[in-house]
Amino acid sequence: MAKLEILEFPDPRLREIAKPVAKVTDAHRQLLEDMFETMYAAPGIGLAATQVNVHERIVVVDISEDNSEPLAFINPEIEVLEEEIHQYDEGCLSVPGFYETVERPRKVRIKALDRNGEPFAIEAEGLLAVCIQHEVDHLDGKLFVDYISPLKRNRIRSKLEKSQRRRA
Amino acid sequence: MSRDVRAEAARVVAALLEAQGSLARLLPKAEDKVEERDRPLLRELCYGCARTAPRLQLIAAKLLRKTPSDSLVSALILLGLYQLEYTRIPDHAAISATVNAARSLKLDRATGLINGVLRNALRESEHLQRKLSGNPQFSSVHPAWLQQAIKAAWPTQASEIFRANNTNPPMTLRVNSARISREDYLQQLDETGLSAEACALSPVGITLLEAVPVGILPGFAEGLVSVQDESAQLAAQLLAPREGERVLDACAAPGGKSCHLLEQQPSIELSALDIEEERLDRVQENLERCGLSAQLICADAAAADAWWDGQQYDRILLDAPCSATGVIRRNPDIKLLRRAEDIAELAKLQAEILRATWALLKPGGSLLYATCSVLPAENSEVVAAFIAEIKDASDNTPELLHGKSWGEKQVAGMQLLPHNGGGDGFYYALLNKAE
Repeated sequence: MAKLEILEFPDPRLREIAKPVAKVTDAHRQLLEDMFETMYAAPGIGLAATQVNVHERIVVVDISEDNSEPLAFINPEIEVLEEEIHQYDEGCLSVPGFYETVERPRKVRIKALDRNGEPFAIEAEGLLAVCIQHEVDHLDGKLFVDYISPLKRNRIRSKLEKSQRRRA
Repeated sequence: MSRDVRAEAARVVAALLEAQGSLARLLPKAEDKVEERDRPLLRELCYGCARTAPRLQLIAAKLLRKTPSDSLVSALILLGLYQLEYTRIPDHAAISATVNAARSLKLDRATGLINGVLRNALRESEHLQRKLSGNPQFSSVHPAWLQQAIKAAWPTQASEIFRANNTNPPMTLRVNSARISREDYLQQLDETGLSAEACALSPVGITLLEAVPVGILPGFAEGLVSVQDESAQLAAQLLAPREGERVLDACAAPGGKSCHLLEQQPSIELSALDIEEERLDRVQENLERCGLSAQLICADAAAADAWWDGQQYDRILLDAPCSATGVIRRNPDIKLLRRAEDIAELAKLQAEILRATWALLKPGGSLLYATCSVLPAENSEVVAAFIAEIKDASDNTPELLHGKSWGEKQVAGMQLLPHNGGGDGFYYALLNKAE
């Protein structure tokens, strides 16, 4: 097990489009373990492989209070079940400290492979639906700040760049 | 994705409303669930909401037809009101973020209610303030029963006590006089760039002008100084054990006063007792950091049969369990957790422990009864009734400390109020046992 480094906006590597996983191997299972460890340590409720600089279509999620409902999705595909829009102030481990309102479909179905490469599907609504859609966006090089006004996005960018320079 | 900080704050406040634990216990767990950057906001929301809850609850009651059945919904409304009334968070952001927290707590059905109440609060703010301004719970920011109890006990000083309870407390240090003088430590603080001044009543006390993390205090890890309120520092001076005496600290956790007794008189043989194993670990940590040692006993002080070796003590410190109404500024959750009926219960328990520990005291020895309460029912009334009942007990509390007056003289013992001089609200009675 190892904790991985999380890339921070505006790192260009967050813009890469992840490739589908052809065959789920032990290396992927190890990556899943590491991603869960990284997510819990952050602490967060969702993490995409893109955020730890691995450009394969892999996502982990756990929205429970006590880290008791880990969910892993390999090659996730999202189908919108209800067009009704749900607003939520999203925050992101790659955009630490900022929260902005994003609108997404309220209810979705996710088809994916599990850690053994077996296909499965679940339906999600509320926070779980928000979280999975947020993470799958990462695999397509997209961040929640892309949904907000350029003015706000640039303000967040300059604040984060400033704190990154301070740490460097 | 990261977790919603207001949702975590709502869980903490809801647990307070249900009296499921104190902020000191709940907050560290909640802090683990949010990112480091969000922790100051989480803390501010939880402490601020507890501190102002008596006022916010009145506003909420005016805007709600009935109390929400789910305490999480009540907590979200209080948090929303707190942000609107007391923070610089823009109003629209405070409301939308609070509604969002409701969503992440799966309270979608309550978002309309929360949104509506907060918008009405905003619209009717001035009108509500005017309407409630004559309500003593509103103006004192204390629950009605406590406002009445403090007013009854301290009629001329009540408003100052309320004000003190609603402010941020000073950070006060106790210098380990066995290792360094106060003057030398003040010098070290000055060299570190920290502004501080010597306390008036405690000869080993230093008040920092601004609170800082203990990590940056020179020599903290090595036990040169400890964090302890000035009023609490008076315990060791009042008890004043002499060389080699056998001393009992009957309710020792977290161990600040035990450490102080050993720093002041290193040759004493100290037994530190506490009823909770977990809290006794804190005593051990504090002793280790200060390089001191004591005999630690996990037991109920009132049930001596289970632990006592039969040898009486020269001095006993009884820092009795109490309402903590003297330290509200440090623990604002007291306003939510305590109930009026707790006071009589506590007074009964205090009288029991006092009677039980008295039997462990040598004739000619002295016992210091202490609480961090400002209510006479737990203090002078307990002690006065004890002296009236127990023939070999007499009140020997000094009216002057190092030639200075301190506190308010009571029928028995002395009371420190939180607004006088800067220390916490504390009660002390030094009782002598006849030879």
